[in-house]
Amino acid sequence: MTEYIVRGIQAGSIYGLLALPMSLLFATAGTIDFAVGAYALLAAAVATIVAGPLGIAVAIVAAITAAAGMGVIFLVLTRIGTKDHIVFALASFGLAVAIASFILWQFGTQAFVRASFSQFWSLGGIRISPQGVINLGLGALVTLLLYLLLYWSDLGRMMRAAAANPSGAELAGIPVARIQFGTYLAGGLLGGLAGIMILYSAGLDFTASLSLTLGGFGAAIIFGITSPLRCLLGGIAMGVAEALAAGYTSGMVTAMVPFLFVLIVLSVSNLGGAMAGDRP
Amino acid sequence: MRGLMSRPNTMIMLGLAIASVALAARDPVWIDTWVIVGVYVLIALSTGISYGQAGILSMSQGAFAAIGGYAAAVSTLRFRLPPGIDLLIAAALPALLAYGLARLVTRLTPLATALATLALGSVIEIALRNMDNITGGYIGLAGIPGIGIIDTPLKYCVLVWALICLCVLMYENLVNSPFGRALNVIRHDRTRAQADGVNVPQLLSGAFAFSAAIAGSAGWLYAHYISYISPNSLDTHTSISALLMTVIGGSGIILGPLAGTVFLDVLVRHLPAQELQGMFYGGALILILILAPTGLLGLMPALLARLRVHRGPRGTIKAATAKPEATL
Repeated sequence: MTEYIVRGIQAGSIYGLLALPMSLLFATAGTIDFAVGAYALLAAAVATIVAGPLGIAVAIVAAITAAAGMGVIFLVLTRIGTKDHIVFALASFGLAVAIASFILWQFGTQAFVRASFSQFWSLGGIRISPQGVINLGLGALVTLLLYLLLYWSDLGRMMRAAAANPSGAELAGIPVARIQFGTYLAGGLLGGLAGIMILYSAGLDFTASLSLTLGGFGAAIIFGITSPLRCLLGGIAMGVAEALAAGYTSGMVTAMVPFLFVLIVLSVSNLGGAMAGDRP
Repeated sequence: MRGLMSRPNTMIMLGLAIASVALAARDPVWIDTWVIVGVYVLIALSTGISYGQAGILSMSQGAFAAIGGYAAAVSTLRFRLPPGIDLLIAAALPALLAYGLARLVTRLTPLATALATLALGSVIEIALRNMDNITGGYIGLAGIPGIGIIDTPLKYCVLVWALICLCVLMYENLVNSPFGRALNVIRHDRTRAQADGVNVPQLLSGAFAFSAAIAGSAGWLYAHYISYISPNSLDTHTSISALLMTVIGGSGIILGPLAGTVFLDVLVRHLPAQELQGMFYGGALILILILAPTGLLGLMPALLARLRVHRGPRGTIKAATAKPEATL
């Protein structure tokens, strides 16, 4: 039991990382970037062909570039007067499909996975993977940095202003469009980081992008999508649920956990309030 | 006859279906292609109803079609039901599931609803893959019998396109009915619809269930035609393709999904590699969203108007000759 929980906590930080961009983008632009999982996939794929620390850097840059593409699409759509938030989501969905297809074309159906540590630590009889600890540490570090950015910097204050009241922020001289574009870039950075972490832990293949996005979204909404800081906790909750399902139920249930999580949270929580707002 | 005349989309669809089936009948390869395209058109039409009318961006239509296909397979193979009767099950099962899901999530925003359908589609797919004793797991079910008197590919082709015409007729009736108008109001302003006395969750759920039933019948046809179904036959990929086809053709327009399906299918056949399909679909979607937010068919009225202006007095003739293009 404890072992499953520990394992779940280690794996959950990846969901937490994927959840952060969901929450940030939802707060600042009111939409969802379906391509976050695709950025992770792209980063993992690039990191497999370029070796070493340089590979990680190149992979992150590739993910951010893809996210910049999405940001440009967002800006163009805004410029031509698109107000329906679901159109942005739809466009990011198109980008996600395109990236997954690109990976399939260039890399084939191979699984991207790389073992980093062959030794496991043992703590009171529980096996702990060093990579899991690194994942958890990175997740916590990124969350902490994001907290500092959001609540202790000018940029963070502008982001929160843009989220709370876009037109008011615009009137106050805050470049709302640029901040939203920056949020898309952050999605690329965080998604890419998550992709690298998955590469060194469980691995993934070209079909993973949508379920990663959905997993991140699930982690983001469990404790309320409006606060990015709850994402890490949400991710850990999801990871633990998945690990417990893997330990005590069939493989079918384990594979379903992220999706069931989303369905259950959407149907029981009062997310209607958090995600409220009529169609324009 | 007057009833049909007041339904232009159904008339156009009828004409197109008859002409295309007659053309396809010359070549066995084309018949086969046209049956499969027809199945996709049905699934895309169902997406058109859920997204274009009810505003539910559905990513589970492929899963609903798969349920329809498996319902057909299981009820004919295991329970020995006569083929044809199983259509009821194939349409009712997805409709029930869709209604249940929609009742749970339609009070949320469209974004949340879209994610819920994606999650439901994935759950269904995983369940189909793993329930070995019912669905045959990864191997699937083979040897599904044909539908009674429908025994040649050409008859299937006629059946598919007749079903499409029937769906377009029902779709057009829905749009022209008080329910369709209420759906329109909901899509533009939910609060207003509530103030008008529309039972928003029930109406949205009903429309979504209707679309799921159409997707289920598409799966039923697919299973009987191919005589084999596996988890890979109709999966998330199908849902995604159907959604992209619908939006590219024009989700708010009745024949938009048809236009998108035929357009993408024809173009994909000329791609150098099958893997590029997603890049092509995704790229086309983004371009359409930017250049023509109402879809390919949505461009037509503006195009026709421009033709009329440029042609001056002869414009009437030009516009009349340009009209058939508007239907494709």
